[in-house]
Amino acid sequence: MNGCVHHFLENSASRRPDKVALVHDGERVTYRRLDRTASRIAAFLIERGVQPEDRIVLLLGNGVQYVASYYGILKAGAVAVPLNLQTGPEALTRLCEELQPAGIIMEREGALLRTPLQFLPSVRFVLFADAAAPAGEGGAWGWDQALKGEELPPEGRPVADTSLASIIYTSGSTGAPKGVMLSHANIVSNTRSIVEYLHLTEDDVQMVVLPFFYVMGKSLLNTHVAVGGTVVINNNFAYSASVLRQMAEEGVTGFSGVPSTYAYLLHRSPLASFRDRLPALRYCTQAGGHMAREIKERLMQVLPAHTKLFVMYGATEAAARLTYVEPERLAEKIGSIGKAIPGVTVRVLGPAGEELAEGESGELVASGPNIMLGYWGDLEATARVLDRNGYHTGDMGYRDGDGYLYVTGRKDHLLKVGGHRVDPQEIEDVLMSSGLLLETAVLGVDDALLGTRLVALAAPLEGAADHLALLAHCRAKLPRHKIPAEIRLVSLLPKHPSGKVDRASCLVICGAAPTTTS
Amino acid sequence: MSVTEEIRNFVVENFLFGDEAGLTDDSSFIKEGIVDSTGILQLVSYLQERYRIAVDDEELTPENLDSVRRVAAFVEVKRGRVAAGA
Repeated sequence: MNGCVHHFLENSASRRPDKVALVHDGERVTYRRLDRTASRIAAFLIERGVQPEDRIVLLLGNGVQYVASYYGILKAGAVAVPLNLQTGPEALTRLCEELQPAGIIMEREGALLRTPLQFLPSVRFVLFADAAAPAGEGGAWGWDQALKGEELPPEGRPVADTSLASIIYTSGSTGAPKGVMLSHANIVSNTRSIVEYLHLTEDDVQMVVLPFFYVMGKSLLNTHVAVGGTVVINNNFAYSASVLRQMAEEGVTGFSGVPSTYAYLLHRSPLASFRDRLPALRYCTQAGGHMAREIKERLMQVLPAHTKLFVMYGATEAAARLTYVEPERLAEKIGSIGKAIPGVTVRVLGPAGEELAEGESGELVASGPNIMLGYWGDLEATARVLDRNGYHTGDMGYRDGDGYLYVTGRKDHLLKVGGHRVDPQEIEDVLMSSGLLLETAVLGVDDALLGTRLVALAAPLEGAADHLALLAHCRAKLPRHKIPAEIRLVSLLPKHPSGKVDRASCLVICGAAPTTTS
Repeated sequence: MSVTEEIRNFVVENFLFGDEAGLTDDSSFIKEGIVDSTGILQLVSYLQERYRIAVDDEELTPENLDSVRRVAAFVEVKRGRVAAGA
């Protein structure tokens, strides 16, 4: 028995009840209080008739209520389905039809919610996180009323570690988002591996600017709750100076982001002037996609000398983490995603499932206790990515002589331009190496003549770039067929709330409908 | 048009698709989901161009930028400094 995700909270609450678990907007919540609130939520859910493995939709921003609800749902043996806060009414209705949730926990009453309430017989209650809502009328509950009841006693509802804990929707770089089913054992094993390689202890204080509904945000929460550390929630990353100030004030030891988080920190924040004000900052982690070499190198210069940079790789389907580069070897293995984390195996496989030799390019396939159960309600999609070899990441790459893995691009991002296979990541890397850009995305736009035409959307650093200089740079470094037909300068790239580049919206900017590429 | 009105218009046109229902001069851009971090940079670029002020990285704080009223006050202070030659 590996234990369940909510046992992390229960164990930390019994070991260090008075330790601060969460800091948010001036509020400091101890482990005791957090655990008791979660237990009240669990009792409330059971009172509403929630059965084991019932889905509960969470539509909350990062905050104390999110965390209490998340662990409360798990304690009740139900399945936490955190959704992107920007989910529109139509998408929400579609997701609810697919999920048949027993209940919804959300921030405030909006037009959004009447639809599922009215039309979905599965929804038995909606819990509003703002306290003013009515008590129980028409299935609507306010937070304070919901918390008035008794707490669910420890093990009040036994949960098997093999049972489904959470469904997390992928941001879906291609196609519709898919619901990744993660069991308690998936999340617990991955949490333990991460704690091990980051050497997390109860002295760690994590600054969280990524949303908890995104799998990396969820990992930050679970790993710190597991060790009895402190999570500082700051939803104001747009105001980077205030985030850095809070990191200094709270003695933050760890910061985590996706590539755009770091591009932003380097170029649009006073990070350099905070170099001497972050003595506690032990490490920074980066995941959520490929980060340009220039950004990694600049970060190593700009971050305080004692701050280690962990470059990591993962997938929602892997409960978050698959590989990492030890900071000591980052300079030498700058383009690598590192090696598999403890307990996980990542191999490079050819089309017939055969393992490839070093240097040979194939698909990265992962196996381990963290690999998902499958996609919710989609056996076909599940069968496409899960087989006896493990989880097919869809990422192409190779392994070097030291066993370090490299991702060269995504299988489904490969473009066919005039008969050549082109990987947009390679062109994006060349564009970034000009040192003129904040960020860029290279896309394939349908073209009557060429089939596909390469268009680069490029966000220049302040007043630094013109497209001719960028083209000249590409010409010097790339064969002719890989040079973008057009470089369009934009102020910024569209992003998902996780900070990842939204390629579908990029295509719309290019004036093209999203296309399927192969 | 006053600075407040101009900023309001910018926010309505660029982030609310012309629908200003519910936007008050004190609405928090971030808490109410009006503007995300990308949008804040767009707003800052607009301020720099439109009012010929330089916005320092240290000034990217909610106190300066998180509502129409705060942005307007921030611009006025910065412009005052420019005018005073500081």
